[in-house]
Formats: sequence, C-alpha cells, structure tokens
Amino acid sequence: MITLPIKKYGLTFRMVEVSDAAFILGLRTDPKLSRHLSPTDDDLAKQQAWICAYKERETQGLEYYFLFENEDHEPQGVVRLYNFINKTYNSGSWLVKPGSDDFTAIKSDLFISSFAINELGFEQCLFEVRKANKKVVRFHKMFATLLSEDENNLYLIMDKKAYERKYKYLTSIIEPEI
Amino acid sequence: MNIEQFVRQFAEQFDEIPTDDFSIDTKFKENDEWSSMTALSVIALVDDSYSVRLTGDDIRKSSTIQDIYDIVASRVTA
Repeated sequence: MITLPIKKYGLTFRMVEVSDAAFILGLRTDPKLSRHLSPTDDDLAKQQAWICAYKERETQGLEYYFLFENEDHEPQGVVRLYNFINKTYNSGSWLVKPGSDDFTAIKSDLFISSFAINELGFEQCLFEVRKANKKVVRFHKMFATLLSEDENNLYLIMDKKAYERKYKYLTSIIEPEI
Repeated sequence: MNIEQFVRQFAEQFDEIPTDDFSIDTKFKENDEWSSMTALSVIALVDDSYSVRLTGDDIRKSSTIQDIYDIVASRVTA
C-alpha cells in the first residue's frame, strides 16, 4: 500500500494526474530539456490521453509517474518508474524545471531510487541515457555500471549496492537540509 | 591543481552556452544554462577528477569558479 503524497527533502512527491498535462507538456517541449527526449507532440489533448492511459497502469501497479512540488506547491519536475520485471525496474522521464533550486535534481533522484528499492522492493534499476546528455551521463556513471551502448544511448544498471553507495553520497551532499 | 585546467573542466559542464570567455571570475550561476542538473554535473566532475565531495552548502555559498576552486584546492591538499 503506497501512501501519498510523500514529503521528503523539502519536496512533495505525488502521482501525476491528468490536470498536470500542461505542466508536463511544457517540460517535454521545452527546447533545452527536450533535446535529450524522445519527441513529444505539442498537443495537450494527446498528453492528457497519455496520462489517462498511464493512470490505468498505475492502478494495476505496473508503473508510477511522480510529480514533485516545492514548498510553495509549485511543480518542479517529474520522474517515472516502469517496466517492472521480477526485481528489476526502469527509471526515466526525469525532467526538472529550469530555475528550480540547485539540488532539486539530486533530491528527486534520491527519492525515486529510495522509493523503488525500499517501498517497492526492487533490487536493480535499468535505465538509458542519451550520450549527448553529458551532465546526466557523468552523474550516473558515478554509481551505475555501463551494460552496453549504441550510437546515441548508454544502457546502465544500478544494483542495490550501487544504490546504497549513491544514497550515502547524495545524502551527504544535501544533509544540512534533511 | 592547475587553475586553468579547472576552469576548462568547469566550462565543459556547460554545453548550451558559449564558454570561451569563462574565467576564474565567472559567476557560474548567472547564465541561462545553470540548473540543478548543472550543479549535479559540477559535483560529479569534482568527485571524479579530484576525489573531493562538494556539499550543498559549498555550491550555495559559491558564486564564482574561483570560489569552487578554492574549496576543492583546500580539500585536495588537506
């Protein structure tokens, strides 16, 4: 049983709702953020329909799409857990609004990893990062192991030990705030 | 630590804006690209290249590349 919203690190995490479609569409079509995403049509109705379909998957426990807000209840970004197979999950759709606090990215990443491992009981995370997304690549390579790559993407895995290392490291960075 | 190399490495964390004029005095948060992702990238750079852990406070209190350099230099030699 998942009880939401969850307040952690000064952010509030809750599931995405259809009413968040405009915010999410704004992130996914932002010229800078969208450079490292699969293309998204600038179509609010389509985004709403996608979220409606997602809510079905959420109800079945197949996928969790989080939105996080700051203390003023302003949405700051999103991140998604999906493709649950045995003890493995995928993490993606991670977007943080430009202008967010300097540590929103770290806090949201910490939350999602902890939630997947501690609340959902997963043991490893598979994810892909665009090679051109240099900032995120450098960060993930600190903790995750490279499995393979193709022309555009790196495919990585983070097991429970790597998660524990990451948790310790990232909490030490933001510690005064938690 | 080489200060010019540090500025160059710091500048490499930015890939959306011109960084040719980045110097030790550059106020690194005062541009369109600075974000929580860039902060994360700078923290990773410093850890990877100098084995130094920057804290949230370090980033928050720093405004120029010199500020970050000084923190890293003090911990590298510590």
